[in-house]
Amino acid sequence: MRGLGDTRSRRGSELAFAALLLSSLAVGMAALVALLADVIHDGAGWVTWRLLTQAPSADPAVAGARPAILATIYLGLLLLAMVVPVGVASAVYLEEYARKERWYNRLLEIAIQNLAGVPSIVYGILGLAFIVRGAGLGRVLLAGAIILALLTLPTVIIASREAIRAVSDSIRQGAYALGATRWQVVSRQVLPAALPGIATGTILALSRGLGETAPLLMIGALTFIAFDPTLLGPFTALPVQIYNWIRQPQAEFRRLAAAAILLLLALVLSLNAAAIWIRDRAQRRW
Amino acid sequence: MRATLQEELDRLEEALQEEAELVLRSLRGAIAVLTEQDLELADEIIAFDDEVDRAYLALEQDVEELLARQTPVARDLRLVLASLHVNLHLERAADLCVTMCKLAKLVASSPADPAVVASFREMGERAETMLRVAMQALAGRDVAGAESLVEMDELIDRANRRLVGRILDLGSDPDRREWGLRMLVISRCLERIGDHAVDIGEQTAYLVTGELREFTDASHPGSEDE
Amino acid sequence: MVAIVDPARLLERRPSAQVERPSCVFELRDVSVLYSGKAALKGISLDIQARLITAIIGPSGCGKSTFIRCLNRMNDLIPGAKVRGTILYHGQDLYAAEVDPVEVRRRIGMVFQKPNPFPKSIFDNVAFGPRVLGLREDLGARVERALRQAALWEEVKDRLDASALTLSGGQQQRLCIARCLAVEPEVILMDEPASALDPIATAAIEDLMHELKREYTIVIVTHNMQQAARVADMTAFFSVDVGPEGERAGILVEYDRTEKIFTQPADPRTEGYVTGRFG
Repeated sequence: MRGLGDTRSRRGSELAFAALLLSSLAVGMAALVALLADVIHDGAGWVTWRLLTQAPSADPAVAGARPAILATIYLGLLLLAMVVPVGVASAVYLEEYARKERWYNRLLEIAIQNLAGVPSIVYGILGLAFIVRGAGLGRVLLAGAIILALLTLPTVIIASREAIRAVSDSIRQGAYALGATRWQVVSRQVLPAALPGIATGTILALSRGLGETAPLLMIGALTFIAFDPTLLGPFTALPVQIYNWIRQPQAEFRRLAAAAILLLLALVLSLNAAAIWIRDRAQRRW
Repeated sequence: MRATLQEELDRLEEALQEEAELVLRSLRGAIAVLTEQDLELADEIIAFDDEVDRAYLALEQDVEELLARQTPVARDLRLVLASLHVNLHLERAADLCVTMCKLAKLVASSPADPAVVASFREMGERAETMLRVAMQALAGRDVAGAESLVEMDELIDRANRRLVGRILDLGSDPDRREWGLRMLVISRCLERIGDHAVDIGEQTAYLVTGELREFTDASHPGSEDE
Repeated sequence: MVAIVDPARLLERRPSAQVERPSCVFELRDVSVLYSGKAALKGISLDIQARLITAIIGPSGCGKSTFIRCLNRMNDLIPGAKVRGTILYHGQDLYAAEVDPVEVRRRIGMVFQKPNPFPKSIFDNVAFGPRVLGLREDLGARVERALRQAALWEEVKDRLDASALTLSGGQQQRLCIARCLAVEPEVILMDEPASALDPIATAAIEDLMHELKREYTIVIVTHNMQQAARVADMTAFFSVDVGPEGERAGILVEYDRTEKIFTQPADPRTEGYVTGRFG
């Protein structure tokens, strides 16, 4: 009988493969760590209360990012208010009500998937043409919010659809068999069960949207705003503020920019953490 | 668990015990016919056998359906198989009572021999007791009780052998010889009823132990002399 | 092809049966079901009697589940499914235009093969049906009654708020039965209710069916013949009929009292199936 095999050669190739995977991971991680270290080195000392409460100024000693921070928060809230109802409703329609074999529903699906991949600057151009000029809103916060909403909508729809699809069909069958109407099945069984997935997807879309710079620049998020933003007034946002400060010659402004980057990172990371926490909680309940 | 199966098994045993009561009635009647020469009773007993037959057939059908539907195993299966056998033994015992009544009618004209009548009473009462004991042992799953039937059967066997001797001594009168033959057959019927009771006891032992064996091997290695 | 059997004879054998004339709950005449043009069931005609357990047996692909789903209009949910022929429920056409499927499913409940408790608490599971139907008074009592009828109350009465998913498979299936009972149906349809359960849990479900039969009409699909033999009063044997072009559809071969099907089946196909010599 042949011996039970020479494990040494196999072990060798297994180790080599594992080493390859680890080194790929290490390269990625190293790049990230390097970027982070650079930013922290530059900006750590400049994350002060002043950064959060003061308006920008030509003098870096007294400059702050308050309008930008407020605008980013407002944008976030408006984004949620617009994208969640529309996105979830669309997902519910596509998954629960639409007859999948109809041609217009298939067209809709393809359109949404493509829209998710469109570069954000295109949304900026479209927003400029149709919302700022076409609808006459002007270069205001609301317009920015609408554009970001349109940008993140496909992602939310796709994530919500995945979450809804993940709800086991046996749950639906059980609910129908008890005499529930389609709406009752959706509202009382499918959506509650899909909620964690929908929330996760929404928050991830939100954190992406808050980091977008190009479309906001396109519609004229003015770079020097010293007053608190309002819904229908001019505005700037944190990414734009960072962009502006980077362009200044003074070294201090670059440090301020790094600090603002840290702020933005903190915001995005905490949103992502919230998403993970929600998903975890839901899985434990099940 | 398996409430239905248990209900059906209980009903089966009940049916068996009820059938045994019918058979005991037949036997008591037959003994009365033999000892009192009551010919009307003989006709009743013969007609009554239809009820025993109905019970027999119903039980057979119940067993068939129980096996098909419930697929019993282990002890439950042994109970069902034992019931089939006991059913048959009871029905044959009842048939033997009918035979005795028919024979009694045939010899009604001849004078009765008190010794023979006494013998028949003794054998008949013993057979009746044996059937009762057998059915009680079955209900109580009592193997010792079932085994005791072998000794009880001894009395019937001895009485049967004595009668054979007496009949052989009857002489050459053809009427007496015909009467003697019929008496022999009646005696043989009673002896067979005793054997059926022992067989029922064997089924009880099978039900409890899982082993099917003849009781007579255990306590009586000698053969019968007829 | 259909034996319209006199079920009165059936009631004589049962010791504690009420002596009442059994009535007909469903009457099917020449029912066919097509999925996107392909026939899954052809020409089914039979009657289902009240407060009996009727079992549907047959090889896979013979349309047993399709058949049972016709009885509570669950086939409506499958796009491309069409039901032809007549199905009468207490004399009323189940598929008439003015019939509300929601009301149908309230009266005719269903338990599925794989237990499918909702990811909610035990209480909310059982209360779901009454809540969606607007039966909100006395919800607690209704839930308790349903759980008692499903022989689950003693095991869960102290943890009604626990997630239903913490129950064992057998308990989950009984929970699904309780859920169904909570809306007070007349008929309970069971699509292979014990095939995902171990033998002890299966025996518990079978004993439960025996109890429920006193109040409810039960129709059960099972691929386990012995189960049909144990629990059912009437048994229908379905088989696959192969048409001239090779198209396969389910047909009813024999429908009779269970004792008869398992001791003296009339059709040789039935005999071939129950003795396991099929194919």
